[in-house]
Amino acid sequence: MKEGAWLGTLVVGGLAALDGTPVAQTLASQPLVTATILGALWGDWSTALGVGVVLQILAASTLPIGARTPEDYSVGGVVGAGVALTIAGGEPFEQVRQAASLVGVLAGMVAATLGVPLLRWQRRWNEGLARWCERELRAGREGALAESQGAAVALAFAIGLAVTAFWLALARWGAVRIEHESLRLAGAWHLLQPLWLGFGLAQLLHAFVQRRLERAGVFAAALVGAWLVIVAGAP
Amino acid sequence: MSEPTSDPPAEAVSEPPGIEPPRVLERSLDRGTLLAIGLRANLLQAAWNFERQQGLGWAFALEPALRRLYPVREERLARLAEHTAYFNTQPTLASIALGAAARVEEERAHGTGGDAASMARLKAALGSTLAALGDRLFWFSLRPFAAAVGVLVAMVHPSHGWGAWALWLVYALPHLALRFGGVGWGYTAGPAMLSGAFRERLERAVRWLALMGCVVLGVALAWALAPGGEPRPIAVQCALAVGLGAGLLTAQGARPSPTRWALAFGLLGLILAWRFHG
Repeated sequence: MKEGAWLGTLVVGGLAALDGTPVAQTLASQPLVTATILGALWGDWSTALGVGVVLQILAASTLPIGARTPEDYSVGGVVGAGVALTIAGGEPFEQVRQAASLVGVLAGMVAATLGVPLLRWQRRWNEGLARWCERELRAGREGALAESQGAAVALAFAIGLAVTAFWLALARWGAVRIEHESLRLAGAWHLLQPLWLGFGLAQLLHAFVQRRLERAGVFAAALVGAWLVIVAGAP
Repeated sequence: MSEPTSDPPAEAVSEPPGIEPPRVLERSLDRGTLLAIGLRANLLQAAWNFERQQGLGWAFALEPALRRLYPVREERLARLAEHTAYFNTQPTLASIALGAAARVEEERAHGTGGDAASMARLKAALGSTLAALGDRLFWFSLRPFAAAVGVLVAMVHPSHGWGAWALWLVYALPHLALRFGGVGWGYTAGPAMLSGAFRERLERAVRWLALMGCVVLGVALAWALAPGGEPRPIAVQCALAVGLGAGLLTAQGARPSPTRWALAFGLLGLILAWRFHG
């Protein structure tokens, strides 16, 4: 089962790298979606979604505008949930799963940040591919266009898969050490998880409100109204 | 298809000498071709690069139209090579540009359109206009809104995959509808598609999404403070408040990125955990 889950995680890593930019861009590569898929694969929803929600809220304010190369949360999301699930795999203790969630979120963010130079390299490689394609088309080779598209897609998939494999191997290697330190890590998770959540919500709020008073008012009204309904409606 | 497909209307005979009657161009790209363009638009960014950006994907997406319009291989290859030049826009709305370009290319094939330079100008104009509209609608509004909805649903139902479904459906449905439908709209209306009415509709959607986003975030924060009506411990509420404050402060500047700030908070949290937790 575990081997199947690892293999599935690698494939999800490759597919997420494709959906992120090269193919379709449907947001199926967003951390919450990939974490949900991995949660189903590994049979551990709570660890996967704990990591997925935090990475998702941070990924939401990372935008691929123009020629900017943003942090790669497509692969970062898979790495985050994958690392957490690898460490937590089969552990009965809640604190180990919380420690795994913390390490997963950190690994996801680091992988997303390190993904920037990797994406830049990939895009430079694509420059050569585009020049080659135009040369071949002018020389009369019509198939060059489909070949270069195929090569770019294959490269993106391979990079996503390789990066995920690297991080999963690292998680497997460090799992025992993290279990030893799980008490401290779980303690840190209790404070960092709401802190990251608040941080991400504020970034999103800033994007929506855009210094307009009426939108800030709508947010405040929704917060107070929802609080009253949730607390008053509780059993 | 390089010859005009329709003869001048019969009334043209009665036109005064020297004035050419307007030519009615018969549309030669069928639904199947437009669908093929829409399908290939999914690979618009496959070979995205700093030099030509979406240029290669653009040529690949337009190929079914060029194949129909230019039966002569050499002519078709020259057009394809032309289209691999620089192009960039918001990827969802690129379908509209593809449809409009297919229409102009059709007119060009029939001898009534412009030349390579006018096509390049058209691509530049469509690209920048659609990017300005699409970035605001998809990247700054719909994507954060979908994420907020997904996160809220995932927080309320932490043991199901409904949050992921909500996020995906909220974004992917309009995205895919525009990706496939946009080619047809762009082809039917041509570059005039970007007129006032269309812009107005998109602007309205942006405003509506921002308001709805504020509502969703308000509910999400209320739920984070008291999930299921059970207020969380004061330390957790304080951490949430600190995160909110830090988020609002750091959002004032573009750098460092939110991820770097979040990483810094993570490292600080680890240091504190080691210092005070054992």
